[in-house]
Amino acid sequence: MNAEIPSDLKKKSYQVLKLVRPLLGGIVGLFLVYRLYVVLIVQHPYGPDTWTRLLIAGLILGGVYALIAIGYTLVYGILFMINFAHGDVMMLGAFGGYFVFEALNALKVGADVKANFLNVYPYFSVIIAFIVGMTIAAVTGYFLEKIAYRPLRKAPRLVPLISAIGASIFLENAAELLFSPQLRNYTNPDILRRGAGWTIVINHSNVIIPYTGVFSFVLTAVLLVVLYTIVRKTRLGRAMRAVALDKKTSALMGVDVDRTISQTFILSGALAGAAGVMFGIHNGLVYYYTGFIPGIKAFTAAVLGGIGNIPGAMLGGLVLGIVESMGPAALGIDFQLKDVLAFVILILVLIFKPSGLLGESLAEEKV
Amino acid sequence: MKKSALRQSFDTGIIFGIVHIFCVLIAFNAMLGGLLVKIAGIKSSMTAPLVSALVTYAVVLGLWAGIMSARQRREASNGQRLLASLITGASSGLLAALLAAIFLVMLTFKIDPRNYLTNLSTAFMKACLYSLPSFAGIAGNFFTFVASSFLGGLLVVGWNLIGSARQKIVAVPRGWINGLQSGSAQKQLILKYVFYVLLFVVVAVLPLKWGSYWNYVMGTVGLYVILGLGLNIIVGLSGQLVLGYIAFFAIGAYTVALLNAPQPHNLMVGFWPSLVLGVLLAGLAGFLLGLPLMRLRGDYLAIVTLGFGEIIRILLNSDVLTAFSGGPRGVQGIQGPTLFGRPFDDVEYMYLIILAVILAMYVYNRLQHSRTGRAWLAVREDETVAQATGVNTNNYKLLALVLGAGFAGLAGGISAAMNQFIGPADQSLMASINVLCEIIVGGMGNIPGTLLGAFAFKGLPELLREVENYRMLAFGALLVAMMIIRPEGLIPSQRPTLELPDEAAVNPTAATGEAPDSTTGEKSHD
Repeated sequence: MNAEIPSDLKKKSYQVLKLVRPLLGGIVGLFLVYRLYVVLIVQHPYGPDTWTRLLIAGLILGGVYALIAIGYTLVYGILFMINFAHGDVMMLGAFGGYFVFEALNALKVGADVKANFLNVYPYFSVIIAFIVGMTIAAVTGYFLEKIAYRPLRKAPRLVPLISAIGASIFLENAAELLFSPQLRNYTNPDILRRGAGWTIVINHSNVIIPYTGVFSFVLTAVLLVVLYTIVRKTRLGRAMRAVALDKKTSALMGVDVDRTISQTFILSGALAGAAGVMFGIHNGLVYYYTGFIPGIKAFTAAVLGGIGNIPGAMLGGLVLGIVESMGPAALGIDFQLKDVLAFVILILVLIFKPSGLLGESLAEEKV
Repeated sequence: MKKSALRQSFDTGIIFGIVHIFCVLIAFNAMLGGLLVKIAGIKSSMTAPLVSALVTYAVVLGLWAGIMSARQRREASNGQRLLASLITGASSGLLAALLAAIFLVMLTFKIDPRNYLTNLSTAFMKACLYSLPSFAGIAGNFFTFVASSFLGGLLVVGWNLIGSARQKIVAVPRGWINGLQSGSAQKQLILKYVFYVLLFVVVAVLPLKWGSYWNYVMGTVGLYVILGLGLNIIVGLSGQLVLGYIAFFAIGAYTVALLNAPQPHNLMVGFWPSLVLGVLLAGLAGFLLGLPLMRLRGDYLAIVTLGFGEIIRILLNSDVLTAFSGGPRGVQGIQGPTLFGRPFDDVEYMYLIILAVILAMYVYNRLQHSRTGRAWLAVREDETVAQATGVNTNNYKLLALVLGAGFAGLAGGISAAMNQFIGPADQSLMASINVLCEIIVGGMGNIPGTLLGAFAFKGLPELLREVENYRMLAFGALLVAMMIIRPEGLIPSQRPTLELPDEAAVNPTAATGEAPDSTTGEKSHD
């Protein structure tokens, strides 16, 4: 998508601006090719086993990003606002799952002293944890919209964004004050022990496919299919798509706009809650700041795929997860800089293709 | 009608009850009550100071609930208002009593929830039951709310009864203000100069008298004023939301630090040239960042600049740049400016900051009222229209970014020299958001608002040490509330009413009409 510039305003500055993008693109492209050449062909530091490990980690991470990214995309598609507090909704969901696991771990079952509910009924426990986490996150999303966003529906665009930033700060600090700033270890049931998994041998070296990762990935896929069905096939989905297209007209056609927006927030909150519990189960740590970085990354993923576009968010999440996990190795840069890589991708996408991989042109027209 | 009014009072009480539970869980009530007791200077007659603090807090919250509830019933008689406040008190008191009952159960069965809810120590839970035995504590919680809410209702009713007297009281200070504002132009000019001279004397004398602690605090406030003014050029005047603003501060600070510290490079260029270089580099960074981003608007720009700020922070924090910029440990022992061969002391730094603030305010003021400033306003209000009327929007937006970044570089350079230390931890996203909050709360796009915001955000927390833990929480809530109730800030920009006298009568109503308008908007579809 190119900026439409009135012909009578084509001054020097515009020509300079027009030169900037190809120039920048050339530099970035050359750098990428050079680094890839150096690392993959000249240095050749890693064998196929390492690459497989990185790919698996990237896919799992990407699945979680995809789930969170869909929350951003759903809300953006309807309200054209960035729900900055979405990552913190996810954090609250993660806390919900954590408390369920802790409670069930303390609950004794039967005569055996060591038997607790968590390990006697592991499947049931995991289901409860997800239900509680998703409910907490969905309720948070609902009230978030009702308190912080709904009164601002007609305000200029920056006003809801600032309100969202405020809500994000509020949620983070409320969690810090309630649960203390300490990092907490997720207590998984034994069948989902962290670090355990199927082992395959590649290049005479064991590559572990962790159970938690496979579980997250499969659950992500299921949730994505469910969500896609909701959006495409149900009445709610039809209402959501109608409201996203045109609020006034859909209200005239008998769609309850406020209710649809509330339901969208509930849906996106539930997905974020599921992502939070998954994140906790797989990564094992939860604290008040857990949601922030994944939230920003997921937003990057949503932009990468084309914001407002659900398949785009899925694709963007997977791509971002893989790039973040394999990118530092492939480009031969420090693994500390994987976050930098994600943000650089965000900036590059916005500069070169603001509509994203699958997106329609949203960046300017609906602003 | 009757039932819905009852329901409304009940719901208000429930909301206050939930707020109460939240406050108790984060132990906010102990802090707030303690603060109130301290401010009031009451010598607590009760044995435990914590209990008196909690009771004070509960009474204040109950009063507030009662006042809110009584004022909701606009057309109601006095008796109905009192009834409403009573119902509100009862429903909030029920929730409070429920919480107290849970505490009692946990105390009886010796359950320690502190591992999960960190504030609920045994002593605190006992204090929440007012140190009373078993059920008396629960009842005490309930009746505190009922009584104080009823008192709130009485206050509202009484306030309405003395309505005429009240208006006379309010009229007196209003008359003074009007007397000052009206009068001949000459009188106003003299008043203005008197004000400036007084201000100058205060500003010139205070740093000598304050002592180093206050110089440090007010120096930080001054740096935040400069930062706020810079961000105001970008956000307030030209309307671009930039979230990673502190990155420019970091560039200025690290320029001064790396050129004047013995550790990584030992260059020792001297403070003044490196300060100028820092400002220029920060401006250059703004230019380079802005150049490819001029096509983006609104929230996209916000996220990209957020990403930029995070990139700068992560790079500074990583091992990659340790050899160049000190890594996570930062740069220490930065040499500041010297006066007659000896380094600046705190008073001189304060004067330096005051000079920088005056310079920044002067530049900002001149810019705001220039052709450039008007072009920025046009871009802010409607970019497409601005472009159509012949404003080169890209150039002006870029200029705003460069100038704002330069201000941040100035603040950063002075800060590095004043603290003799700079580290990546100071460059967090929260710092950027702090500056943004400062200008939004104070009032976007004007100097008094920025001053007020800087004092409120950097000065007040120093005064109220007790609030420290709850500061960010309050900021978050404040941001949301400000956006809903008063999006134009505490001191709104005066410009539109000055330039369009015909609309002066329209604008205030439009501004005040926003809150009720948006609440009615809930029911109607837009």
